[in-house]
Amino acid sequence: MVGGGSWRVVLVMRDRALIPSFQRPPSRVVIRRAANYEQDLASLIYESLREFSLPIKDKTVLLKPNLVGLDPLGVMNTHPAVIAATRECFLHLGASQVFIGDGPAMDRDTEAIIESVRLREYTGPLAHRFVDLNVDDVERVPLKTHASRLKELYLPKTVLGVDFLVSMPKLKTHHWAGVTLSLKNMFGIVPGSCYGWPKNVLHWAGIDRAILDINAAARPDFAIVDGIVGMEGNGPIQGTPKSCGVLVFGSDPVAVDATCCRVMGLIPERVKYLSGAGTLLGHLKADKIQQLGESIASVRTPFAVLETFRGIAG
Amino acid sequence: MALRLASDSMEAGPETSFAESVCLPFLRSAQNTDGGWGFHPGSQSRAEATCWALQALIDSARPETPESVARGFQFLRAAQLPDGSWPSTPEEKVGCWVTSLVCWVLLVDKDSSKAVAAGLNWLCQDWPQDSTPWRRLLARLSSQPHVAPMNNSLRGWGWTPRTSSWVEPTSFALLALGQCRRDLLPPAAVQRRQLAEGLLYDRMCPGGGWNCGNPRVYGVAGEPLVVPTAWALLALRDHPKRPENVLSLTWLENSVANIHGAGSLALARICLETYGHVWPTGAPELRDFHRKNEFLQSIQVAAWACLASSARRHWLAAAAGGSS
Repeated sequence: MVGGGSWRVVLVMRDRALIPSFQRPPSRVVIRRAANYEQDLASLIYESLREFSLPIKDKTVLLKPNLVGLDPLGVMNTHPAVIAATRECFLHLGASQVFIGDGPAMDRDTEAIIESVRLREYTGPLAHRFVDLNVDDVERVPLKTHASRLKELYLPKTVLGVDFLVSMPKLKTHHWAGVTLSLKNMFGIVPGSCYGWPKNVLHWAGIDRAILDINAAARPDFAIVDGIVGMEGNGPIQGTPKSCGVLVFGSDPVAVDATCCRVMGLIPERVKYLSGAGTLLGHLKADKIQQLGESIASVRTPFAVLETFRGIAG
Repeated sequence: MALRLASDSMEAGPETSFAESVCLPFLRSAQNTDGGWGFHPGSQSRAEATCWALQALIDSARPETPESVARGFQFLRAAQLPDGSWPSTPEEKVGCWVTSLVCWVLLVDKDSSKAVAAGLNWLCQDWPQDSTPWRRLLARLSSQPHVAPMNNSLRGWGWTPRTSSWVEPTSFALLALGQCRRDLLPPAAVQRRQLAEGLLYDRMCPGGGWNCGNPRVYGVAGEPLVVPTAWALLALRDHPKRPENVLSLTWLENSVANIHGAGSLALARICLETYGHVWPTGAPELRDFHRKNEFLQSIQVAAWACLASSARRHWLAAAAGGSS
C-alpha cells in the first residue's frame, strides 16, 4: 500500500506517469505576473515555455482548457485569450498541430459554451480545430491505479493519441474537491457520451480517488494555470471572481497545483487528492519544487473556501 | 397526445431548405458501412448518434431513406446486450441511458418489437441507487443533509446503472415509455413513470427550467440550461397547464434570443412548437450557427436541426395504442 489513508494504489513501476517521489527529480514551476487579459500574453507565455525546452517540434498538441459552463462574463472558464496565446506559442515552437479540446461536465451543448466565451473570436474558426471530448471516439483504458473502484475508463482517442497534452485550468476553489486545478481539470477528458452530464460515475467512485485514476491514465505533459482572474468560495461555477494576476507553468502537474494552492493561501498537503497525487504523480513538497519567476510570497492572494474546506486554508 | 403536433402542410421556410440541402445530405453521407453513425463523419458507430440520425431520416420521409433506415435499425438490433440494454459504445458490456433512445427510435420498426420490449424491461428494472431506503437513511443522518436538498423518495433514471437520477436520462426514459404500445410496456412502467414525473418536477430550478438535476446547491439556486429544459418539457408535455410547465416554457421562450449553440437552438424550437408556441420572429437561425462552426461537424446537432426544421414531429407522437 502506498499513500495516505486507505487508498489502494498499486505501483506500476514501468509507467512513466507513476514514479514514487523519492525517485523523481525535482520539478520546476514558473510563476508569471499578468495583470489582465488584454496585455501581450503570447510573449509572456512563449518566454515561460522556453524555460522548459519542451520536446514538441513536429508533435501534435492538445490544449485542454477548463470549460465548465455558459460564461459571457468570462469568470468560470479558462479565458480564451490565454488559450489562443498558448496555441500560438506552441505553433511557434514547432508543433505540427495544436488542437483545443474539452468535454464540459454539466451541459452537453459544448458549442454554446465556447461561443459564450467568444473562443472563436480569439482563435479563428473552430470546426476542425476544437474537439468536443464528450463525443470523441473512445478507447477502453484499463486503469493503472486502483485508487477508486473504477477498473477501466473509456477515454477519448484524441487525448490518448496526441504527442503532448496540456492541462489549462482556471485557478478556482471547488465545492466538492477543495480546489480545481490542472489535475481536477482532467475530469473533462472523461466523455459525457459514455458517462453522462454530469459524469456521475466519477462522483460515485469518489471524486478525490477518481482524479488520481484519471491522471494516472492520462497524465498531462504540461500545465498552464489561468490565475489572472480566478474564483473563490462556492466554485467551480457559482463562486466569486478573484483577481490574482498570475499564470503558472510547469511540466509536473502536481507541483503546479501545489504551487497554486500556496499562492491561494491553501495547504496542498491537506487537499485529499493532491496528497495522494504527491506519492506517485509528481511533487507536492515545497523543497522538491524549484520556483522560477515570481516568488509565491510576492503573489500570494488568499482565496476564501467554503466552510467544509476550512481545514485546507493556511 | 395532449398537445397538437404541427401541421404537415406548414409552409417550408429557409430553415427547412437549409436542413434539406445541408443537414440531411450530411447525415446520409455520414452513415458507416455497419449501418450506424458516429458522432462525426468517419468516426466509430455509436448507438446514441445512430438514434438521432435515424429519427431525422425517418422524419424526413424521403423516398431514398428506407434502405438507409433499415441498415440503421439492423446496427442497433445487433448492438443490444443479452440483458436487453444498449451500451454507449460497442466495446462496453454494460448498458446505460442510451437504451431509452434506442427503444424510442425502434418503436416504429415492426421487426424490433422483441428488442424494444427487452430494452424497456431492462429500463424498468434499473433503479438508481441514490434513492434506496438505505441511502435515504444515510442522507438523513449525514452532517450535510442540505447541501443539495431534494426529495429522494422520487426516482428517475441515471446516465449509468445504479447511480443517481438525472434530468435528461429520466426525460428520455419517459419519452420512450410514453410513446410505446401498451403491449410492450413492462408492468412496472406505470409506477416508474409516476415517480419519474414527480422527480422532474422536484428537480426544476426555482425560476423554471432545468439543469442537469441540481436545482439548488449550498443554498444557491441552480441556473437552468436549454437542453435539459427542452427534454424535460417534452417528457412532461401531457401536463401543459401545470404551473411548472408554464413557468419553464416562459423561461425557455425568454432564453431563445441568447442561445449560443445550434443544438440548444434546435431543441428549443422543437419544444416550443410542440407546445403550440409560435417560434419568435427574429430568433437566431440554425444556418447562421452553421456558418460559424459547421455545428462542430456533429451528427447529433445536424439531426436535431433537421427535426427542428420539420413540421411533422411524428417522432414525438405516441404509437397507435400508445400509453401517452
